[in-house]
Amino acid sequence: MMQQERILQVLLAPHISEKSTLVADASGTHVFKVHTSATKTEIKQAVEQLFEVKVAQVRVLNVKGKTKRFGQRMGKRSDWRKAYVKLAEGQDIAFAGAN
Amino acid sequence: MQVSVESGEGLERKLTIQVPAETVEKEVDSRLNSMRSRVKIDGFRPGKVPLSVVKKQYGTSVLQEVMGEVMQNTLRDAVIQESLNPAGTPAIEPTSMEPGKPLEYIATFEVYPEIELTDCASIEVERTTAEVVDSDVDTMIDTLLKQRTTYETVDRASKDADQMTINFDGSIDGEQFEGGQADSVPVVIGSNSMIPGFEEELVGKSADEEFSFDVNFPDDYHAENLKGKKATFVTKVITVAEPKKPEVDEEFAKSFGVDDGSIETLKSDIRANMERELRNKLQEVLKKEVLDKLLDANDVLIPKALINQEAENLQKQMMDAGQLQAGMSLPKELFEGEAKRRVGLGLVIGEVVKKAEIRPEADKVTAKIDDIAQTYEDPSEVINHYNSNPQLKQGIEALIMEEMVVDWIVDQAKVTDSAKSFHDLMNPETQQPA
Repeated sequence: MMQQERILQVLLAPHISEKSTLVADASGTHVFKVHTSATKTEIKQAVEQLFEVKVAQVRVLNVKGKTKRFGQRMGKRSDWRKAYVKLAEGQDIAFAGAN
Repeated sequence: MQVSVESGEGLERKLTIQVPAETVEKEVDSRLNSMRSRVKIDGFRPGKVPLSVVKKQYGTSVLQEVMGEVMQNTLRDAVIQESLNPAGTPAIEPTSMEPGKPLEYIATFEVYPEIELTDCASIEVERTTAEVVDSDVDTMIDTLLKQRTTYETVDRASKDADQMTINFDGSIDGEQFEGGQADSVPVVIGSNSMIPGFEEELVGKSADEEFSFDVNFPDDYHAENLKGKKATFVTKVITVAEPKKPEVDEEFAKSFGVDDGSIETLKSDIRANMERELRNKLQEVLKKEVLDKLLDANDVLIPKALINQEAENLQKQMMDAGQLQAGMSLPKELFEGEAKRRVGLGLVIGEVVKKAEIRPEADKVTAKIDDIAQTYEDPSEVINHYNSNPQLKQGIEALIMEEMVVDWIVDQAKVTDSAKSFHDLMNPETQQPA
């Protein structure tokens, strides 16, 4: 059993985009921005506990941060990790108005 | 839309209106749809934002907006449907505003009273009549003469109606008092411009004469410290002048703008002027009489909202007129009586206008403007001014309407004539323009 402290650290924010709303409508999949070191199991547990839903599947990927020029210097945005969390049939997460 | 009307106290009406949820929802959806192409939300290309996201973001605010509008629209429809005539702004109180449920609200307002005009034949009007007679014209000329009186220095003892120029030095118990000294003051004997007894002392004195006399200040004198005191005035007469009334002659006529200098023309001019003034005055008196009687005869329930509004207007007018120092305010209640009268009259007159189908007639308007223009030096310019200024013309039209209403009532009402002389009619209010 994972520690409560870790659960609260795993999920960073819901990820809102055209694609995320599309998959949410099509297959009940919610997209999150997660901690770079989070594993599928951790994400599953965190979502299940925090939103009180049943998770069917978690798929993750790493997103490379964009490189941005700042004058002469090159800069880089941090890399981050995105998780597609598919909920079990009949489950839904209601983000309270804010997204 | 379901509407139910409840009659409250007096003119108050309570409308309970229920609007089905779909009406509101449909409107919200169509608004959101039209918003879709315009809103910019992070994570979406412009115009590609799904409706569900827009709804989540803007749904509540749009709903509020739509509800407000729906309320206004349905209220308007409901008022027409129930054929009510609201006076003043309705107070709206929503009873159910939850999304998905029918919208329900209560609107409370006052309605215009249904006016049943009392038969005008039962109104008794006293019409004042008057005519300009020759003696009135003579009196007027006499007044004009007096205004033009000049004084001519003479070398003789003064008598009544003379103008004397004097120095005086007044004292009480040997001490001078404030305002008791003056040099070269013109005093007309018999004009009562000085304290009682003063002018009498001057009679029979001639220029350069020096003398002193005692006069008692009257008990009701305005200065506290002088009331009833006995004062001694040392007075020196500088000049004695006798009044010279101008003759009613060519020169006199010319000074009033009669070019040919004929006294007959002057008289007829004066007469025409007086007749016009008299006509206006009679009209004014009659109008007040008729309107008062009309209001008395028709007991109208007057919506409070209108009275309030009118009272506020009056209050504002009074303030704007600058009759108040800044920062001061007159209580609105002061104006309520007047406001009530005005609103009541407005309602009753409106009803009369409707019933009698009164409309301002173009030729009457022109005639009125002509009439006004006659008092000016260049009538044609005044007429042009009125014709080129729609606002002024509207004012005249309103005036004509009022006159026509008055005429219409006079036609039907029982009229008793009461004759008055020109003098009696004009004089109590010489200060006011007729």
